Amino acid sequence: MEQNRTPTRRKIRTYCNQCGNGPDLLTVETLDGVATRIEPDFAAHGVHPADGKVCVKAYGLVQKLYNPHRVLTPLKRTNPKKGMNEEPGWVEISWQEALDTVADKLNGIRKRGLKDENGNPRFAFTIGSAASPMWYIGSFPAFIQAWGDVDRSIGSGTTNKCYHTEHIFGELWHRGFTVLPDTPRSEYIIGFGYNADGAAGGVIAARRHADARARGVKRIQFEPHLSVSGASATEWLPIKAKTDSAVLYAMLHVLLHEHPLTDLDVDFLKNHTASPYLIGPNGFYLRDPETRKPLIWDLAGGQAVPHDQAAADPALEGCFEVIDAIEIGADHELWTHARASGMTGFEALRRHVADRSPEWAAGVSDIPAHKIRRIANEFLSHARIGETVEIDGHLLPFRPVAIVFGKSVNNGWGAYECIWARTVLQTLVGALEVPGGIIGSLVLLSGAHGYDRMNTVIAGEDGFMFYPFNPTTKNEWNPRSDSRHAHLTLTPMAGDGIYSHNIGSTVISWMRLQGRAAETWPRPNPPDVWFLYRCNPMNSFSELTKLGESIARFPFTVTFSYTMDETNHFADIVLPEAMDLESYQLIPLGGTGWLESLWSSKGWVLRQPIVEPRGEARNFSWISNELARRTGLLEAYNAAINAGACGVPLKAEGYDHALDVAEEHDEKAVWDRVCKAASASLTDGEEVHGLSWFKENGNLLRPMSTLKWYLFPKMVETGLRFELPYQERFLRIGKQLANRLHETGVEWWDRQLADYEAMPEWKDLEKLWDDALQRNYQAAAKDYPFWLLTTRSMQHAWGATASIQLLAEVGNNLAGQDGILVNSIKAAELGIRDGDEIEVRSAVGAMRGTARLRHGVRPDVVLMIGQWGHWKTPFAKDLKRPGPNDLIPMNMDLIDGMGSTNETTKVAISLVEARP
Amino acid sequence: MTRYVMVADLNRCIGCQTCTVACRHTNATLPEIEWRRVLDMESGEFPDVERLFVPVGCQHCADPPCMHVCPSTATRQRDDGIISIDYDLCIGCSYCAVACPYQARYKTDRNRFAYDGKPMPSEEILMDEKRLGVAQKCTFCSDRIDAGLEANLTPGVDPDATPACVNSCIANALHFGDIEDRESNVSALVDNSPHFRMHEELGTDPGFYYLWRRKSVEE
Repeated sequence: MEQNRTPTRRKIRTYCNQCGNGPDLLTVETLDGVATRIEPDFAAHGVHPADGKVCVKAYGLVQKLYNPHRVLTPLKRTNPKKGMNEEPGWVEISWQEALDTVADKLNGIRKRGLKDENGNPRFAFTIGSAASPMWYIGSFPAFIQAWGDVDRSIGSGTTNKCYHTEHIFGELWHRGFTVLPDTPRSEYIIGFGYNADGAAGGVIAARRHADARARGVKRIQFEPHLSVSGASATEWLPIKAKTDSAVLYAMLHVLLHEHPLTDLDVDFLKNHTASPYLIGPNGFYLRDPETRKPLIWDLAGGQAVPHDQAAADPALEGCFEVIDAIEIGADHELWTHARASGMTGFEALRRHVADRSPEWAAGVSDIPAHKIRRIANEFLSHARIGETVEIDGHLLPFRPVAIVFGKSVNNGWGAYECIWARTVLQTLVGALEVPGGIIGSLVLLSGAHGYDRMNTVIAGEDGFMFYPFNPTTKNEWNPRSDSRHAHLTLTPMAGDGIYSHNIGSTVISWMRLQGRAAETWPRPNPPDVWFLYRCNPMNSFSELTKLGESIARFPFTVTFSYTMDETNHFADIVLPEAMDLESYQLIPLGGTGWLESLWSSKGWVLRQPIVEPRGEARNFSWISNELARRTGLLEAYNAAINAGACGVPLKAEGYDHALDVAEEHDEKAVWDRVCKAASASLTDGEEVHGLSWFKENGNLLRPMSTLKWYLFPKMVETGLRFELPYQERFLRIGKQLANRLHETGVEWWDRQLADYEAMPEWKDLEKLWDDALQRNYQAAAKDYPFWLLTTRSMQHAWGATASIQLLAEVGNNLAGQDGILVNSIKAAELGIRDGDEIEVRSAVGAMRGTARLRHGVRPDVVLMIGQWGHWKTPFAKDLKRPGPNDLIPMNMDLIDGMGSTNETTKVAISLVEARP
Repeated sequence: MTRYVMVADLNRCIGCQTCTVACRHTNATLPEIEWRRVLDMESGEFPDVERLFVPVGCQHCADPPCMHVCPSTATRQRDDGIISIDYDLCIGCSYCAVACPYQARYKTDRNRFAYDGKPMPSEEILMDEKRLGVAQKCTFCSDRIDAGLEANLTPGVDPDATPACVNSCIANALHFGDIEDRESNVSALVDNSPHFRMHEELGTDPGFYYLWRRKSVEE
C-alpha cells in the first residue's frame, strides 16, 4: 500500500469564456487526476492584454465540475402536466433512449415540413449569455446548418437584457456591435452606467481601467447608484434614473451653442460625416437630379455640389438656396425643386438642441447645470483637437475622450436618443473610431460579406457604409417572417444575418405566444421541438410567472443542462452536458472581440478535458454527431464542418484537412482537423498543428497591428462618411415600414414606428412609464414611486454561476449582493432597517428580500444586483436572494422602435418583517 | 535583512474578490474561511458618498499582538518577517484571534464543505486535518516563497515565488516583495506614492501598505 506518496501534479492549459469578454487563458492543476486549482496562465504574460489572468468567475470552474447537484444522466419527464407547481416526475434513462426519443421528434418534423402552417420553423433553439455558449457548443452549429430552418427568436435575455439598441446603431454608424472607450489611450471617459471594470468588460477592461487610473485618466460616472465603476471613477454623479439623454442633449447644447464652430473638429465634421449634407423642405436630402447624390454647399464655389466632389469646401452652418434639386422620400416619392432651401445636417442638429440647455437638463436629471456645463467643456478641452498619434507608421487623429453606456441606457425607450447624442458628441470633437475615442470591436449584423470588421467597411448608399437593412419597399418587404418575432417584417434594422434572430424583438415572440401582441396576425404555435442550451429564460427574461404559462404549453422541450433549473423544470428531456473542464473545442483568440477585448495578436485557443466527463455527461460534439446520424443528416453535418461550422473551413487554398463526409468521425478526429486547418490558415501554411500540439501548448497566436482597432483609416481609404448626425435612410425606412404595416391593417406597431426619427426628439421617460402603467394597469404614478434597477456583478455576470458556492460566498463581501439596496435615509423614513425583510411590488409582480441600506443609492431607486429569485436551481434557491425579473412587465407600450425593453420598472416598497 | 510586505493600491482595486478566491484555491481553505478578502467600504451621506475596496488579511506585523499572547509559542515570526503558525504546537485557545486588531485569524473545529456537508473530490484530496481546532490565517504563501527561493526565483516578481492573491489580481492592485531592499518593486511603490498602514497607531508596525490618492474633483 502506498503511504505518504506525493500526488501526481499536472497543470493543463485551457480557457474561460463564461462571459462574452473571453476567451481568457488559465491553467488547471490536477492532483492524481482530480482538478483542484485554477491559476492564471503565466506564460501569456505580455501577450494576453491582462497578462494571462482570469476573473473571479473562472475560479468557480472546479466547483462547477464537481457540484454534486449536477445532472449526470439523461432524464425524461413522466408527468405530462407542466407548470411551476407540477412535479416533473423525472426518470433516469439511457443516452440511447434519450437520443432516440429526441431524434424521433426531429424526424417527425422533417416528415411534416420544417415550417408550420404559419411559416414558423417547427424547431427552435435558444442560447443565452451574449452568445458565449457558442464557445462551448462544439460542432452543434454544423447540425443547425445541416438541419435548415431554425427559429432562434425565442429569447432568454436578448432584447431585454442586452445592449440591443447600441448593437444596432453601433453597427450602422461605426461597426460597433459593442462600443467601448479606447481605454489604453483615453484621457477623459464619461460613463452612463458603463460597468466595464465592475462586470461587463471582463478581466481585460478591469486591467486597462486600473492602468488608466494610474496614468491619471479622468472618469466621470453618471449612475443612480454608486457601482463598482462609480466607486473607481474620479467623480460619481447620481443621476435620476432614465434621464441620461437629457444630460447628453445638454452637452450637445453646450458644444453647439456656447462655443464657436472653430472650437470643434471642423475637418472631421466637413469631410468625414454627413454634417454638410443639405436637407430639403420635406426632411430628405436635396439631391443632384442627374446622379441622385446628396448635395452639399461648396463655400468656395458658392453653389451646391454632390457630396463627393473632391475640391469642395463644405459649409457646415446655415441654410442655402439650391437651384434644381430633388428629394427622394419613402416609397420612391420624388419632389422636384426648381429652387429649394437646404439646411445642412449640422445646422439642423444645432437647432434641434437649441432649447436643451444645462439649466433645462438639471431640472430633469437632478445633476446641477454647472456640473453638466463643466463636464461638456472638459470633454471638449480633453479632445486635443488637431493632435495626431503614430501607430505602426500611420499618422492618425488623437482624440482621447469617450462617452460610453451600460445596460438600460443603451436599450429600450430612450436608447436611440442616448446613442445618437453620444455618437454625435464624439463626431463634434472628431473622436469616433480614432485613437483615444470611442471604437467598436465586433460586427455581428453587417457581416454579409464576412465578419472581419474591416472587411465590412464597404460602400453603401449616399457615401455611407453598407448596412443590411431588411427591405421595406412595397415589392421587397417580407410580410411573413420565418421567425416568431417577425424580425424581417417588423425590425428592418435587425438585418438577416447569423445574429439577426437575436436582435429581433424577442419580447414580441413571447407576447405573441401569449396572445398579447400582433393581434391582426395569427397567434404562433410553440415550436414542435425546443432546444435550450446554457440559458434559463424562466429566471432571466421578464414577467416570469406569465412566461412559465407559455413554456408549459411547449409540446417538446429538450435542455442541455448543468443542474436542474427554473426552465428545465418544464422540459421533456434533460441531457447532461459535459462542462467547461470536460470537453474539446478550438475557438478564436485575440483580435478585436466583445467590448474591451482588443488584442495586439490573433489566433486560436483550445478547450480540452481536464478530467473525464462526470457521470453520463457527454460533450456537445458527440451529441451533435449522434443527432446528425439519427436524423439522416450526417453527410450534410460533415459538409457543414468542412465548410467552416467549427470556426474555420477545413479546406481552403493552401491546405486540405477536410473530413470524408460519408463517414462518422469522433470528436477528437473533428477537432484535430479543425486544429490543423486553423493553424494552417493563421500562419499561411507555415505551421500545421494537430490536437496533440494544442493540448500541450494551449494556443497559437500571431501579432496583429493595433491599427485594426480603428475604423477611421479604412473610412478614409474607402472615401466613406460616418452617417451622422441626420438619419435620412432611417427616416425613410420608418415611413416605408409604416406604409407596409398600415396597408396590411397593422396599427399595433405605431408607437414603435414613431421612433424612426431623423434626429430623435428628447422624451420624458418617467412620464412615458407612468402613462403606460396608468393605461395598462390603472396605476397612478404615486403608487410606484421608486425605480427598480438591476446591475451585474463580476461574480455572477453571465456564466451561470448562481449555484457556485465559492462565488456566492465571496459575492457576499460586496454590499447588497444578498438583498435589495435601499438608500439609508429613505429607509429610515419608511421605518426600514438593514436586514429587515421588505417587499418590492410592481404592476405585475412582487418579490421579497433582505433590505440592505447604503448611502450610495438614490432615494428614489431600489437596486437588485444580479438575476436571482431562483426557486428550483439547487443551492441558489436556498440563498433566497431576490431577482427583478418577475416584476418587469412585458408590454407593447414599453417596447421601443428597435424592439427592446428596459430592464427596469417602477415599484413600491414596504416592510414585511423587521429583523429580530 | 529581508522583510516581506504586501502593497495594495486602493486606486486600482475594484473589489472583485479574485484574490479571495485565488487564496481559497491555493491554500485550500474551507468555505467562509478567507485568509484574503476585500472589504467594501462606504463613507459619507447621499449624494456625497465614496466607496472604497480594501484588501485585508494578516498584516504580518513587526510587533504582532497575536504572537505576544500565544501561550504555546505556535505563533512565531520568521526572519523574513512572515508570521507563522505551527499547527502542531497550537492548542486552539484563540487568544491570538482576539488579540489581532485586523480580525485576520480563523479557527474551525470541523471540516465544512461547499455543498451538503459532503466533500467534492477536489475538497477530499486537499483536506488537511491539521488545520482543524487550531488558529489559521494568511501565510503570505510562505510555502510558495520558500520553494521559489530554492529555485532562485524572486518573490513578488516570479509567479512561482509569489503569493497567489498577488498573482491573480486582475487590476494589478496587489504587490509583494522585500521592503528592506531599496531596489525592490514594493519599495519603489511605497516611496513614490502616498500611503498608509492600517491601525498604525497601535504600534504593530504592519507589513501591509495601502497606496491611496484622494480624488480631486474640480468644481
